[in-house]
Amino acid sequence: MKYIFVYPERCTGCRLCSLACSLTKFGECNPRKAAISVVRDEFERFEFPVVCFQCQEAPCVTACPQNAIKKDEGTVSRDDDRCIGCRLCAVVCPFSAITTFGKELIHCDLCGGDPQCVKYCSTKAIEYTDETQEAMQRRKEQLARVLITEK
Amino acid sequence: MTINQYAIVNLSKGSVNIREIPANVIRSYLGGRGTNVYHLNKLLRKNVDPLSPENVLIFGAGLLTGYLIPNASRFNVTAKSPESGFLGDTNCGGYFGPEMRYAGFDQIIIIGKARKPSYIFLQDGSIEIRNASDYWGLDTYNVQIELRKDLGDVQAAVTGEAGEKLVRFANIRNGVKNAGGRGGLGAVMGSKNLKALVAYGTQGLDVAHPEQLLEVTKRANEYVLNSKVISVMGKLGSPYLYDVSNALGAIRTKNSQLNAWSDSLNAEHFEEYVEKMVSCASCVVHCRHRNTMDGEGPEYTTIGLLGANVGISDPKQVIELNNLCNRLGLDTASAGGILAWVFELYEKGIVDKAKFKEEKLEFENFELIKSLLEKTARREGLGDILAESSQAVKHFGPKSADYLIAVKNLPQSDPHDVRYIKAFALGIATASRGADHLRSRPTLEIFLRLPQEVKESIYGAGISPDPTSYEGKENTVFWSDNMYAVIDAVGICKFICHGFNSPHLIGYEHVKDFLDTAVGLKFDIQELKEVGQRIIDTERILNLRFGLTRADDSLPKRYFDDPAPLKTAEGHHVDRKQFQIMLDRYYTLRGWNEDGMVSEERVNELEAIE
Repeated sequence: MKYIFVYPERCTGCRLCSLACSLTKFGECNPRKAAISVVRDEFERFEFPVVCFQCQEAPCVTACPQNAIKKDEGTVSRDDDRCIGCRLCAVVCPFSAITTFGKELIHCDLCGGDPQCVKYCSTKAIEYTDETQEAMQRRKEQLARVLITEK
Repeated sequence: MTINQYAIVNLSKGSVNIREIPANVIRSYLGGRGTNVYHLNKLLRKNVDPLSPENVLIFGAGLLTGYLIPNASRFNVTAKSPESGFLGDTNCGGYFGPEMRYAGFDQIIIIGKARKPSYIFLQDGSIEIRNASDYWGLDTYNVQIELRKDLGDVQAAVTGEAGEKLVRFANIRNGVKNAGGRGGLGAVMGSKNLKALVAYGTQGLDVAHPEQLLEVTKRANEYVLNSKVISVMGKLGSPYLYDVSNALGAIRTKNSQLNAWSDSLNAEHFEEYVEKMVSCASCVVHCRHRNTMDGEGPEYTTIGLLGANVGISDPKQVIELNNLCNRLGLDTASAGGILAWVFELYEKGIVDKAKFKEEKLEFENFELIKSLLEKTARREGLGDILAESSQAVKHFGPKSADYLIAVKNLPQSDPHDVRYIKAFALGIATASRGADHLRSRPTLEIFLRLPQEVKESIYGAGISPDPTSYEGKENTVFWSDNMYAVIDAVGICKFICHGFNSPHLIGYEHVKDFLDTAVGLKFDIQELKEVGQRIIDTERILNLRFGLTRADDSLPKRYFDDPAPLKTAEGHHVDRKQFQIMLDRYYTLRGWNEDGMVSEERVNELEAIE
């Protein structure tokens, strides 16, 4: 399965991902109206992209009183006809990855398998990758830090 | 589509007046630096005291700031400068520019003076003037931290203790590192009892052609990221420039008595203090070092001015001075320039040493420099004189002016000694805000191996390939000045601007596509070039109103009279006669007369825009 993976150590905080999302979904540039948010604080010294991680046991699915949220083939999706806009999914999400904005409940749908946000990240802090490939790549990078001493 | 709104906030009356920026003004000046100088020219009709309530202080975001466009994060702050007495205009990155637009405003014009410490809060189309007594006295970090505790996830453009104390090179800051650094506009905030301009916005910017903008920006990002200089900038930040200039003999050292300094300040020696590289909004370069000493930076400018120029060679000490200035809200460039000037005056006995018997004034003394910076920000002891910047000539006597490395009373920001490269010399002499590198720096002149046809394709034919030649160099300055004015007006960072660091990157063609797809404004290249010229001419008109003459388009005495002593640049200086001839040619290109005056016809044409 392909998922969006995030690497906060590479995130510079620029929010191009959020702008690409809001432009794709709503035709406007608004970092607060996007399914991906960069949580950042330059005084606390961190940057962290937050987006739906497509949990195996997704609390949003369990919590929805309308059964509006489902998991199909590994991806969380919402039936807008059933959704009553109670925002419970956003509250129970362990990463607060669902954005509430006016009448919108914005939940990453991976742009139907072609997520736009990753295309605008200049540091590969977010990547859309097959999970097994990602795991091997991550192992290689970790081991490189451990095994390779300075040349 | 998004309405381009501005507001006039009168702090004396406590009134707020919200208006729409006329479409014709946007077409003529775009935004940011352009619309700021347009409004300053309309509103400041007299030569007022810059620290009086009559001065007009304008914050303006670039026309593309806040969009999905690479490095479109910037805003300008514009007023009459208390440091120079001429145009004060400063460009700043970070996250404040986009936030003021998401809050519903492109531009805030501040007049008058509040009775009590105040801040202005912009929130989704509304503006309030609020009490800032709880924030007065806080440094630039702490005021932002406290504002966020009280107001949530806001962005703020603030001034520090230096601004409150009316230090003539106090700056305006956003985040840990972003500075509207030049011209002392933090002191203008202080003079108005204004601690901060704060924004919170949830209003998106409408996009004329969303799918096309997604495509145009994707291609622009790829183009920028494929550039070699951008990958160097993303790894080392601007400090990579130190090595290049130092090898040439162009690093201002000890008030330009020398022109080269220690390799210990090369970029690689700062790397061990870097925790992470971070960005301004929408940036693909990420040139900002989050340092391990509770700050961000330093930039090349600070390495030069608070390193080589004051005789510091330990990177750790440079970082400490950088972080200190940033907290206090002092411009590191003017700070290093003024300290070095006073050290030389003391060394040479041009100031009466007895006057400072409690002080020991010398280069290379880290503890002394640190304490003088703190005293300057608080106007204590000698700091009260240093806080006057170039106007301290009044205290030190007329002979001291011969040693001041400044143009139009603004201490030179670029660490680059301009005696070797003549285009740099003309650039700092003619820049509208004084001796500054961000207005027209023709960096390509440093790249000695750049093919001549590449230079000529950018700047036009007839430019000598020899950097020490005066021939055709008015063209490089003219071209750069116009290009950078446009890039400032749209709010894109100069680090990805055509000609600033590379012969490639974002130029008129890209700006044209961005304006079309994001804002729905169609321009041709010639029209965009004319916007740049219009901005420069309007800045000139203001400067002439402030009393500027041809004699102000000049250089520090030392660059004319003392040949550079070291390295490649050894023996080179700027010839007075050749310089004046080059200046004549520059005026001709601009359509100004031999006194540097703008024609009455042009003045009337620009005044008629509304």
